[in-house]
Amino acid sequence: MNTIVWIHGDNLSPYNPALLAQKDAPTIFVWDETLLQEYQLSLKRIVFIYECLLELPITIRKGDVAQEIITFTQEHDANRILTTQSPSPRFKQICATILREMPKGSTLEIYKERPFIEIDEQLDLKRFSRYWEKVKYKALHPK
Amino acid sequence: MTKNMRRDFNNRDELVNYLREEFPNAIQPEHISHTIGGRKEAEKRLRKIHPREYTTSRNYLNGSVSHLSAYIRHGVMNLAEVRDYILNISKNIHEAEKFINELGWRDYWQRIYAQIGDEIWKDREEYKTGYTAKDYNNNLPEDILDAKTGLRCIDEFTNALYKTGYLHNHARMYLASYIVHHRKIKWQTGARWFLQHLLDGDPASNNLSWQWVASTFSHKPYFFNRENLEKFTEGIYCRECPLYKKCPFEGTYEELEARLFPNRLSNREGHR
Repeated sequence: MNTIVWIHGDNLSPYNPALLAQKDAPTIFVWDETLLQEYQLSLKRIVFIYECLLELPITIRKGDVAQEIITFTQEHDANRILTTQSPSPRFKQICATILREMPKGSTLEIYKERPFIEIDEQLDLKRFSRYWEKVKYKALHPK
Repeated sequence: MTKNMRRDFNNRDELVNYLREEFPNAIQPEHISHTIGGRKEAEKRLRKIHPREYTTSRNYLNGSVSHLSAYIRHGVMNLAEVRDYILNISKNIHEAEKFINELGWRDYWQRIYAQIGDEIWKDREEYKTGYTAKDYNNNLPEDILDAKTGLRCIDEFTNALYKTGYLHNHARMYLASYIVHHRKIKWQTGARWFLQHLLDGDPASNNLSWQWVASTFSHKPYFFNRENLEKFTEGIYCRECPLYKKCPFEGTYEELEARLFPNRLSNREGHR
């Protein structure tokens, strides 16, 4: 079975780690019509994102994201999907739907880009000043 | 039926016309920003950054800011890459520190978003304005949406938001403060409006910044006076404003606080 790469709007870099992990894999971006309806983005935002997409070697579609990705896997006889992390709750929902709907044995691997701060401990996020006090040295002295 | 979207365009106008047909529900007013998407453009902008000039001029509307936010928001370039570049071109850590501190804000907002998800739309804390959430309206008045408040600064910020999809951080704060504190509109309403237009619109940075202005994610509301706005805009709006020295931003901070937050002031006095 094959692998596909799913690119989403939080990681439109040509150095996207999922893209680099499987350079020859068919790759897809899906415009989330539910989200577009909810947020009612202006055309200038859509144009900007589309221009980012045009620099990437990908297939562009629109519709129900999970469904379109599943269809794409079927078109390419794939049962392995690579993507990158996003803090968006919508991303989590889509991942959950994909895993539920895909055939047994399918995998969804979520890559992480290099973090701004490499830190394992739980940070106090009540106020920026507390966060910055804790991370400042690492932010200014990366490995 | 599943259909691939087009990738071949002879020019930007052709792309825009295609997207207009494909996304007929995109909201009005319909302007296309001069900011072009993509990694190549992001790299050009990265190479133009001057950390030392940024540190001294960033608060001014025509200051030496990077205009990288839309690219960072969509992961065209990540925070670690930008930070590494800044460290490389800076003479010393001190020169790089302010720019990297600002990158830290985005990392901070994203970490909160990862923890709270859709709660990002809810007040993190109570308003500290002397009012409760119920005292704020849900809808943006038409004079704001149409850029016809008569306040030259506010109307020009709105026009810039529509036309360019970008606002300097100070302009965002002024506009947000005007909407929430002068017009008593819920921060969520303003935040949603910004997300429709800002190319760097991101629920985390955007909503939490609005909450910071509103005081639902800070110790006190953010407000400004005309003198502050005139300084950081270098007078470009005030000079042409028919309401100069008669506008709602005129006065000392003490006077403005008394006008905008009378209950907050009396509460304070009550504690004395």
